[in-house]
Amino acid sequence: MKSTRRTFRVGAVVLGLGLAASACGFGGDSGGGSEGGSQTLNLLVPSYSDNTKGLWEGIIKDFEAENSDVSVKLEVQSWDNINDVIRTKVQSGDAPDILNIDAFAGFAADDLLYPASDVLSDDTLADFQDTFVENASIDGEQYGLPLIASARTLFMNKDLMDKAGVTEAPKTWDELLAASKKVSELGGGVSGYGMPLGSEEAQAETSIWAFGNGASWGDSDKITVDTPEAVEAVSFMKKMIDEGATQDNPGATDRTPLINVFVQGKIGFIEALPPTVGQIETENPELNYELAPIPTKDGSPVTLGVADHLMAFKNDGDKQESITKFLDYFYSTDVYTNFVTKENFLPVTKSAAEQMDNPDMQVFLDALPDAQFYPSTNTAWSATQGAFQTLIGQIGQGKDPAEVLKAIQAKADEAS
Amino acid sequence: MPSGKRRSLVAALPWITPTLLLIAAIVLFPAGYMVWTSLRDLSEFGTDRGPAGFENYQRLLEFDALPRVLVNTVVWVVGVVALTVLISLALAQLLDKAFPGRRLVRMAVIVPWASSVVMTSIVFYYGLDPFYGIINHALVDLGVLDEPFGFTKTTIPAFAVSMGTAIFVSLPFTTYTLLAGLQAIPEEILEAAEVDGAGPWRGYRNVVLPSLRPALAVATIINIINVFNSLPILFTMTGSIPGYDVDTTTTLIFKFIRADRQVDTASALSVVNFLLVLVIILVYLRVVRPMRED
Repeated sequence: MKSTRRTFRVGAVVLGLGLAASACGFGGDSGGGSEGGSQTLNLLVPSYSDNTKGLWEGIIKDFEAENSDVSVKLEVQSWDNINDVIRTKVQSGDAPDILNIDAFAGFAADDLLYPASDVLSDDTLADFQDTFVENASIDGEQYGLPLIASARTLFMNKDLMDKAGVTEAPKTWDELLAASKKVSELGGGVSGYGMPLGSEEAQAETSIWAFGNGASWGDSDKITVDTPEAVEAVSFMKKMIDEGATQDNPGATDRTPLINVFVQGKIGFIEALPPTVGQIETENPELNYELAPIPTKDGSPVTLGVADHLMAFKNDGDKQESITKFLDYFYSTDVYTNFVTKENFLPVTKSAAEQMDNPDMQVFLDALPDAQFYPSTNTAWSATQGAFQTLIGQIGQGKDPAEVLKAIQAKADEAS
Repeated sequence: MPSGKRRSLVAALPWITPTLLLIAAIVLFPAGYMVWTSLRDLSEFGTDRGPAGFENYQRLLEFDALPRVLVNTVVWVVGVVALTVLISLALAQLLDKAFPGRRLVRMAVIVPWASSVVMTSIVFYYGLDPFYGIINHALVDLGVLDEPFGFTKTTIPAFAVSMGTAIFVSLPFTTYTLLAGLQAIPEEILEAAEVDGAGPWRGYRNVVLPSLRPALAVATIINIINVFNSLPILFTMTGSIPGYDVDTTTTLIFKFIRADRQVDTASALSVVNFLLVLVIILVYLRVVRPMRED
C-alpha cells in the first residue's frame, strides 16, 4: 500500500516535470525566441592574439545591449587545444552554437551545420568576397562563414643581409638558397632561412614551397599530395636543409618559437604572417626588416592563403533566429572592420576591404590575388594536414622526399 | 554447504550492491565501451557509421611504424621503472638514516611529486631549448658543451631526456613506498644478522631486500602502470619531432586521434594497450615473483 502510493507520487512528479518542460518548448517555439525569455548562444573561438578575448567580449557586450533577448556565452581556447575541445564537445552532444575554426568540411559531412543562407541575411551573404565563398562551399552550398584571411610573405632581416653581403631580395629558390647560405655562414647562432617543419604547422611551410612549383593538394573530390611538382619542391627543401641554409633540426622546430627567433634578429629569412608585423612592433621595434614576395622556383608570384571560418551548429534547431541576429551584427561593416584590424588579419568582406587603410598590410593584400588555398572543403584534408604535421619533418632526418610524400598520400587515401 | 553460502550471499547483497554498481559504472562499463568502439566505424568527430568488424585492428597491424613503437614502449617502461626503483632504493636507505636536516631533505624529495607533470616537463623542455634554454646555457657556461645542443630536437637524446624526466617524477612515490617498507623492518632482525656476522652488504641482500619485497612489488607494479600510461612527458618534450621514432603506444593513440583523426583506430590501439600492460605485469609477476613467500 505504502509502496504503491510512493510509485504514484513519483510518477506524478515525473509527469509534471515532463509537461512543464514541453510547455517551455512550445512557448519558445511560438514566441520565436523573443517572448519566451532570453536565449543563450554558446560561442567557441580560438585565441589569435592577446587581444582576441577582449575583442569578442566587447562585441558581445555591444550586441547584448542592442538585443536584450539574446545573451552570448564566450569560451576562448588556444589553437593547440581547440580541435580536441570541439571534438569532445561534439562527441558528448554539447556542440557550441557558433564555432570559429579553420576547417568545416568534417562537421558539414556529419550534417551538423546550418547552411550559411539559413543563418545570415542576404545582405551579409552578398558581402563576402567571391574567392572566399568558393573556399567555404561544398557542392555549391556554403557552410563556412569566412572570418579572417591571412597570407604569407617573406620577412627579411636587413642587417643580417647587409653583413652577409646580400643586396637584393631573393626571387627564386636558387637565389634564396645562395642568400641563406651566406647569412648562415655569419655564425654566432644566426641561421639563414627559418624552416619550421615541426608538428605545429608543417603543412603551411610545405605548401608554400609546393605551390611555388605549381603543385596543388587537390580539390573537394580528391587529395593529391604525391605529385612530381611536390616531390621536386620538397626535394629542394631538403637541399636547403642538407646544405646548411636553414636552422638546425627543422623537423623538430615549431612555427611560433621560430618566428620569435626571427623577431630577436637571429634569422635572415622566414615566411611569416600579417600578425608578425604587429608582434615585431611590440617586441622588438628596432628590428630592421623588410617584406618581399615569396621566392618560387621560377620567380612567378604565389602565396599560401588561409581563411578561417565561423560556422553555426544545428543542435536542437531552435536558435536559428538568435544566431542570425548575432552573426549579422558581427559582420556589420564597423564591427567587423574593427575586429580584423585589431587582430592584424586581412578582411574577407567587400565592405571591410574598402574601409581598411593600413600600409603595413599592403604587401599581403597585393599577394592575395595569387593566393592558393588548402583543399579544406575535402573531408580528408584534416587527416592529410595531420599527416603533414607528423611526417614531413622527416626530410630533415634524411628521409627521401618522395617516400615521405607517398606516406602522406597513403594517409589521405585512407581518410577519403 | 552451497545453499547456506548462497543465502549468506543474498544477505550480503544490500551491503555490496552499491560497490558492485560503482565497479560496473566506473570500471566495467568504460572498458566494455572501449572494446565496443574499437569494433565500430567512427567519423573523425565520433559519429557512429556502423559496425567495422576487425578493420580497425587490421589497419593497426598494417601500420608500418608499429614494431618501432612497441620496442620504444618496452625500452621506456623497463628503463624508467628499473632506474627509478634502483635510485629509490638508494634514496630510501639514505632517508632512513638519522642525520641533521633529514626532515628538509625528505620534504625536498616530495616536490617533484607535488607539482604537475606537464609543468615539470615544460620546465625541462624550455630549459633544454638550444636557443633560450637555461640548462643549455649553464652547460655552455660551465664548459661542458661548446655550443647549445638540441636535446629535445633529435630522436635519441629527446627520448633519453624524456626518460630522465619520467624518472625524476616517479622517484618521490617510489622512494616513500620503499622508505615505509624499510621502517617496517624490525630492528631486532638487523641486529641478529649483525651478531651472526653478516657484513653490511650481506645483511642488505639477505635481510633487508627480502623484507622489502612487498613494498618493492607495490612500487614496481604501480610504476609500470603509471609509466606505461604516461602521456604528458613524451607529449610535451618530443611532440615536435616528426615521425613515430619517439612514440610509445600511449602517445601513438593520441597521434591517431589528433593528427590522423582516426578515433576508431585509436580505440583499437587502446584495447591493445590495455592488454599489453596486463601482459607486462603478468611477466613481471611470473619472472620476479615478488609475492612468493619463502
